[in-house]
Amino acid sequence: MKLKKITTDFFLLMALSTNISFIFGPNPYELVITVIANLTATILKLGEGRILATEMTAASLVADLHLIPAAFIYFLGDVDEAVSLAIGALAVNIISILLSIIEAIFGYLSEE
Amino acid sequence: MPALSRLKKLRKPLKKLRLRKKREKTLLEAYQNRLIESLKELRIPLLLLHFSLSVGTIGYMILSGGNFIDSIYMTVITIGTIGFGEIAKGSETPMGRIFTTFLSLMGIGVFTTSVTVVVRVFLVGDLVNLVKYIRMLSSIEKLRDHVIICGYNRTSAWLIEPLKKRKLEFVVIDHREEAIKYIQMHNIKYFIPEEPYKKTALTSAGIERARYLIANMESEAENIAVIVTARLLRPNKEDLLIYSTAPTDGSAKKLEELGANKVIVPDKLVANRVFSYMLHETRGFVSDLFDRIAYGEEAELEIVELKVREGSPIVGKFLKDLDLRKTYGVTVIGIRKEGGALELTISGDTKIEDGDTLLILGKPVSVKKAVEFYKEVLR
Repeated sequence: MKLKKITTDFFLLMALSTNISFIFGPNPYELVITVIANLTATILKLGEGRILATEMTAASLVADLHLIPAAFIYFLGDVDEAVSLAIGALAVNIISILLSIIEAIFGYLSEE
Repeated sequence: MPALSRLKKLRKPLKKLRLRKKREKTLLEAYQNRLIESLKELRIPLLLLHFSLSVGTIGYMILSGGNFIDSIYMTVITIGTIGFGEIAKGSETPMGRIFTTFLSLMGIGVFTTSVTVVVRVFLVGDLVNLVKYIRMLSSIEKLRDHVIICGYNRTSAWLIEPLKKRKLEFVVIDHREEAIKYIQMHNIKYFIPEEPYKKTALTSAGIERARYLIANMESEAENIAVIVTARLLRPNKEDLLIYSTAPTDGSAKKLEELGANKVIVPDKLVANRVFSYMLHETRGFVSDLFDRIAYGEEAELEIVELKVREGSPIVGKFLKDLDLRKTYGVTVIGIRKEGGALELTISGDTKIEDGDTLLILGKPVSVKKAVEFYKEVLR
């Protein structure tokens, strides 16, 4: 078990779960927590040199670019637009999780 | 667990696959990796800053009843030491003030430290140099028929002058700190700060697309290493021309056998030139006219050797049929026969034969035009 992987995966899953719950029941706190979790996951991936790290960092950045405007748009009053942006972020977050699983499998297989 | 045992079975074939696909990283990739890895330094300051901003925003949101925009604004002006006032609702209450006090105590330190670290990483650290190298290596990848100079010393410095004059692109490879200092001082456009005998350094210098390689290292052993590595990458002596220097005739022969096209013995060259001045005494201008033309020092004249390709349509024709003098303003001053004999008594009735090498003299522009026109039949 690697502490680093637990932390990164925790924030990834946290972002995914709060993202889904925000889509089904828009709530300001959930949206802010999604943004925070996503940004934390992005920072944790910075400078990572592992397999698929490039794809994961890119996916995470795309999710941030969806969620940050979503947060501002939501609090400016356009809830529908914020939800649709969050749906976009959800797609990327699912890809992030899939990449993380693939990376875990590759890591396991290439272990000595 | 059957799934786990199936995964375990996959290990061996996967390892084989990885071994087969493993290849040496190019310098560009290595520098890009180093650049990405240097971003790791930003992690802790950014995480701390992110933590402070998150705590502040959520705290003010709870106090103000969920106003995100006012909350993030209030957090930024608090930890950024701007302090416009208690903008977020609820921040003026005793609870709000206690929260702001703790946020400031934590956030101001974090903010200033993070900004300092980020600025240091970008401006003081290796990051700027890495970006510069990456850009340079990407530009080198676009070069064609260029010159690779291995080792930067006085000879290399003299060599780059005519190269610049002729607008020939060149890449210098040298890893010595002293050489790198001079390379930067002499404003060399492309250089690779690595050992020139490394395969990665030569590949990154574009050896696959280069026309010339100059092995000009400090020691003979290093020259051997460079020549051998270069020949391993480009075995054909006609595709990549390697020139080097050696202290004695014996070592020169050895280097030529190892793969150099021509090895010059500097002391011998100087002695020969001095002797040629002695031979012609006062007529120094005439004595070194050919030298100056050959070395490219005579700006008005250029001499080139062009070998007639096998089975070329000009074989069997007379020189007057080509009419080079009228069409391009260049003259064939001699023909080197296949056996090596030099024929200088040539006229319009001289027949071009298979294996001939024409010595063409003329103004650089005219020579270039003629060479361009005959590139299909001559090389």
